[in-house]
Amino acid sequence: MSSEQAARGVINLSESDSSLVNEIKELGGEELMECIQCAKCAAACPMVLAGFPFFNKRIIQAIFLGLRDALLDDSSIWACQSCNRCTEVCPREVNPFEIIQAMRRVAIREFALPTLSIEGLKSLYDTGHAVYLAGAGNTRVKVGLPEKPPSTVANPDALKELQAVIRKTALADLGIIPMDEPGV
Amino acid sequence: MKVGFFVGCNTAFNRPDLEQAVRYAFPALGIELDNLEGQSCCPSWGTMPSVDVVGWCAVGARNHTIAEEKGLDIVTVCGSCYGSLAESKYKMDTHPEIKAQVNEILKDIGREYKGTSNVRLTFYYLYHELGPDKIKEAVKHKLDGLTVALQPGCHTLWPSKVYYDKEEDTFHPRVLKEMCEALGATVGHYTRLIDCCGMGAMRSTDMEKSFKLVEKKLISMKNEVNPDLIITGCSSCLIQLDTAQDLLRSSKKINFEIPVLHFMQVLALCLGADPERVTGLAKTDVSRVVNRILEG
Amino acid sequence: MPRIGVYICHCGENIAGAVNVEEVRKYAENLPGVVVARNYLFMCSDPGQELIKQDIRNGLIDRVVVAACTPRTHEPIFRKTVEDGGLNKYLLEMANIRDQDSWPHWHDKEGATEKAKKLVASAVAKAAFLEPLEDRFVEVTRASLVVGGGVAGMFAALDLANMGYKVYLVEKSPSLGGNMAKLDKTFPTNDCSACILTPIMVQVGTHPNIELLTYSEVESVEGSIGNFKVKVRKKQTYIDWDKCTGCGDCVNACPAKVPNEFNEGMDNRKAIYIEFPQAVPKRAVVDIEHCLSCAKRTIGTQPRIHSKTGEPILAPCEKACKTGACDRSREYNPEGEIVELNVGTIIVATGYKVMDKAPFKEYSPQSPNVITAMQLERILSATGPTEGHFHRPSDGEKPETIAFISCVGSRDKRYHTYCSKVCCMYMLKEARLIKEKYPETNIYIFFIDVRTGGKDFEEYYNYCRNLGIKMLRGRVGAVDELPGDRLRVRAYDVDLGAPVELEADLVVLATAIEPAPDLDELGRKLGITCGSEGFLKEMHTKLYPVETPVKGIYIAGCAQGPKDIPESVSQARAASSAAAVPLTLGKVIVEPLISEVNQRKCTGCGTCVQLCPYSAISLVEDKGRSRSKIDEAMCAGCGVCAAACPSGVITLHGFTNAQIHAQIKALAC
Ligand SMILES: Cc1cc2nc3c(=O)[nH]c(=O)nc-3n(C[C@H](O)[C@H](O)[C@H](O)COP(=O)(O)OP(=O)(O)OC[C@H]3O[C@@H](n4cnc5c(N)ncnc54)[C@H](O)[C@@H]3O)c2cc1C
Ligand code: SF4
Ligand code: SF4
Ligand code: SF4
Ligand code: SF4
Repeated sequence: MSSEQAARGVINLSESDSSLVNEIKELGGEELMECIQCAKCAAACPMVLAGFPFFNKRIIQAIFLGLRDALLDDSSIWACQSCNRCTEVCPREVNPFEIIQAMRRVAIREFALPTLSIEGLKSLYDTGHAVYLAGAGNTRVKVGLPEKPPSTVANPDALKELQAVIRKTALADLGIIPMDEPGV
Repeated sequence: MKVGFFVGCNTAFNRPDLEQAVRYAFPALGIELDNLEGQSCCPSWGTMPSVDVVGWCAVGARNHTIAEEKGLDIVTVCGSCYGSLAESKYKMDTHPEIKAQVNEILKDIGREYKGTSNVRLTFYYLYHELGPDKIKEAVKHKLDGLTVALQPGCHTLWPSKVYYDKEEDTFHPRVLKEMCEALGATVGHYTRLIDCCGMGAMRSTDMEKSFKLVEKKLISMKNEVNPDLIITGCSSCLIQLDTAQDLLRSSKKINFEIPVLHFMQVLALCLGADPERVTGLAKTDVSRVVNRILEG
Repeated sequence: MPRIGVYICHCGENIAGAVNVEEVRKYAENLPGVVVARNYLFMCSDPGQELIKQDIRNGLIDRVVVAACTPRTHEPIFRKTVEDGGLNKYLLEMANIRDQDSWPHWHDKEGATEKAKKLVASAVAKAAFLEPLEDRFVEVTRASLVVGGGVAGMFAALDLANMGYKVYLVEKSPSLGGNMAKLDKTFPTNDCSACILTPIMVQVGTHPNIELLTYSEVESVEGSIGNFKVKVRKKQTYIDWDKCTGCGDCVNACPAKVPNEFNEGMDNRKAIYIEFPQAVPKRAVVDIEHCLSCAKRTIGTQPRIHSKTGEPILAPCEKACKTGACDRSREYNPEGEIVELNVGTIIVATGYKVMDKAPFKEYSPQSPNVITAMQLERILSATGPTEGHFHRPSDGEKPETIAFISCVGSRDKRYHTYCSKVCCMYMLKEARLIKEKYPETNIYIFFIDVRTGGKDFEEYYNYCRNLGIKMLRGRVGAVDELPGDRLRVRAYDVDLGAPVELEADLVVLATAIEPAPDLDELGRKLGITCGSEGFLKEMHTKLYPVETPVKGIYIAGCAQGPKDIPESVSQARAASSAAAVPLTLGKVIVEPLISEVNQRKCTGCGTCVQLCPYSAISLVEDKGRSRSKIDEAMCAGCGVCAAACPSGVITLHGFTNAQIHAQIKALAC
């Protein structure tokens, strides 16, 4: 058992939040209830192998039991590699990866997201790229490429278009990143 | 033959040498690349997909429509872009209600997602459209005598249901192997072949934990294959395997260095590209293996 | 004017929990024709039935409407009540306000009450038009057909035969035995499968009342309870079974190699073969698809004559056969022979097949050392491919470490969502057999839940753990091939809370039990259906577990769902006793709810003739005109003809136009 888990001590089930199950189902984890906790998804999950306290099977069990805070207080859900090995092997077609994404969606709605994600979202909105290295222009030129790739960074109209799209998504209502300034 | 090249973030800004490799190899094989002007991030997993399904699909759909309008398939070198784009497409194609909501959003920018372009990954695309034999004929240099270990990458395999190009058996993938063999390489098998390299969200969340995975993977490669070169199918795996070795050496977790290149970089070299341009940003020392390729 | 009594049941809380019974009763009281409306806690109880009988005896009513549960289980009870009270029993109508109302609308009490009123009103409307009908009786053919010669089919056949009835046993393989014949030893007592099964097979094979039709399949079924006409196709064996002694000389001589189904494809049999050493009947068959036709001896041709010796040139099998049973000059007839049988009842016991390992790519099925549990049974069996020596398939080495994986293809939405029920126990059994013989072997069983409900099963499980068999909770996620023919098994041990890896020599997959191939097609021929899992559906899970919706057809064994031998045998014996009832009675009641043509008005258009699914209608000449005639014995009362007749001259008794129209009208207002 990990130290984080030991530190949590006894889990008080009476404080569980039974609304979590429905929230997950609404946020993309439709197949949640199909899970029979067989643990097949955990057998080769990178999160398990790397030693994260929560991972597919255990995240699902925590959702079943409504342990919202336990999941939000821990960074595990943000470590999912989206590798989908779990989805491929799950005998119940649960799409465990999608459940974890749904849990991230719950977390985001409570502003419980890592700084890196906020930065990624901001960078996506401002430049069209979640990962954008301002100094990359030189390296590009060094290998014989134009300073900017043919993406939103080289095309202000395209960026405006993207921003218009993002402003119409749920992200706009959440107010996690500022969305009014024009990009680049 | 023409296809839309989706560059993505990491390739464009971290490893433009890989971008250059694609831009060299495709035309050299007679395939024209379209720039898909105005493309954005796929979007990557930690961003829109973690916020909302429709928002994820909407940003993805904007990219899809750029290719659709030109009547082209999308090809990418990055496993993450491949996964995110293929999944958003799969969601919209199998859930009419998601597609309708997305198109409602796209209406304002005068676009409509139809679902007519396929999402492809470079080595699968070449395998299916040209085939290993044609590539064998086209190359100037060969990997004869080189032993390689492969890293196909999780996203190139799973979830198989969302992908257009499929491995017959996603737990025993063969396509990248056949492609490397077509270039003359001896491909060694190691038993952690399909294990995750640790790149991605995990590395951003906890680098130390993520390095446990790459360490195990590298040691399995070293002990079971002892390769001259690691060839990856994914740009993220390329970055992880290429950059982690130095750090693992300094913390005494490993005591070796194996050069790492993406398949497209190796292919570009074999087709006669300038090594500086297509492999110049590697952190591992690739000079010896590059020279051997150019001699081969 | 009919005098109708309405009796509304509370069914304890089942109905009264959702329906305001008193309100419905008051409503019913005012319906046209109703003279009395009563309610009671349990209408089917003695006092409940007494209420109805009293009202009839007092001359108060002459039609009865019972608003209660399902007529499927309760119509016979209330018909008897009505009859005991002194009325014709067909003057009863039921309104199902439980299954069709209170249960599905449990959370809408008001709506449920309103719906109950409608259902009662429509039943009352129909009751006004009910007419007395008389039962008919048909003679029963005192013989039975059993389909499937596994342990279930054999027991069903033996029981009926021992009661003195003629039994035809149709088995599609060359021999009796089914899957049990492949097993090594059997839980929960670990007796040798062959030792307990062979005597049964011999009894069946030699019983004077049993006629064996092996290597045969049911072609078609017509008729109904008491008088089924069954056509059976006997496949051609290409051997004269009257002469064949089962000596096997032909088999030894045959050069053709074919994967051996009996050994689950782990070795080869010949093109001419005897299914297994204890086969009953022990006779050779030629697998014509794989036969090489040695010496150009295509079946049905005359041998060429040797130019020097003048002798006919024969195939090795023929040459070896001392009895003349194997003679390739015999006629080539791949269609086989059709045998017609007349039987009164039918028992279906077609069993199961085990899933193949191939779909489970994450478990490296391409490795010869990844096998199914059924393959392991064959490896352990003295008559198996290794003659009982415990060898791993790749190189014949004795496995030191073995991993069992449970639920492979079971509880799995991609294959079968049900639990295959016997796998936990047979994994424990196989592990135990190995551990008892080779105590130094390391055995790990990876499971999701250990399900050992059954007499003495939990004790068996504990015994196995005491032997040192290790149990791990956590479905295996990957099996990787390692150098040296070894395998790496990867799982997450839920109890340790850690990922685990195990290097094993042999991986055994407990693959799911599936319905026998083409079971749905056989079901269609018999008019019985398969449930969503593909097994045959019983009439009622609890009360009529071996009956089917088709009277006179019964099911037993794994054809009905996964089960072990004790359960298969119990069910077989239950089916045989149920199937014996009509045979013993000698006649069966046929409800008069069938169609009748008013021949005088029939125009002879023939529409009905085409439509009748039971071929009960024919056109007959009557005074120079063609008229339709319905065979009472064959009509099943489906009503298709009555609905289709353009002249409206067919009446379906019990569902006349007047009755149905009244019913619809009552529902509409
Ligand atoms: C690996 C394994 C180990 C097991 N070990 C045990 C054990 O130790 N103890 C125990 O109690 N149970 C065990 N079982 C379960 C046991 O095998 C079954 O309970 C039993 O064989 C069921 O008998 P059956 O007659 O219903 O079906 P089957 O044995 O399958 O017999 C059905 C017969 O019907 C025939 N048939 C199929 N279709 C047709 C058709 N259309 N027309 C004519 N004939 C047809 C088949 O050829 C077959 O002969 C085990 C099962 C497995 C998979
Ligand atoms: S998500 Fe699927 S694989 Fe994971 S525990 Fe649940 S049922 Fe098993
Ligand atoms: S997608 Fe996430 S949860 Fe699933 S196996 Fe990969 S890392 Fe684990
Ligand atoms: S040799 Fe003849 S008698 Fe012997 S088993 Fe073969 S066919 Fe039957
Ligand atoms: S002809 Fe006889 S010996 Fe030859 S393959 Fe056929 S069965 Fe075997």
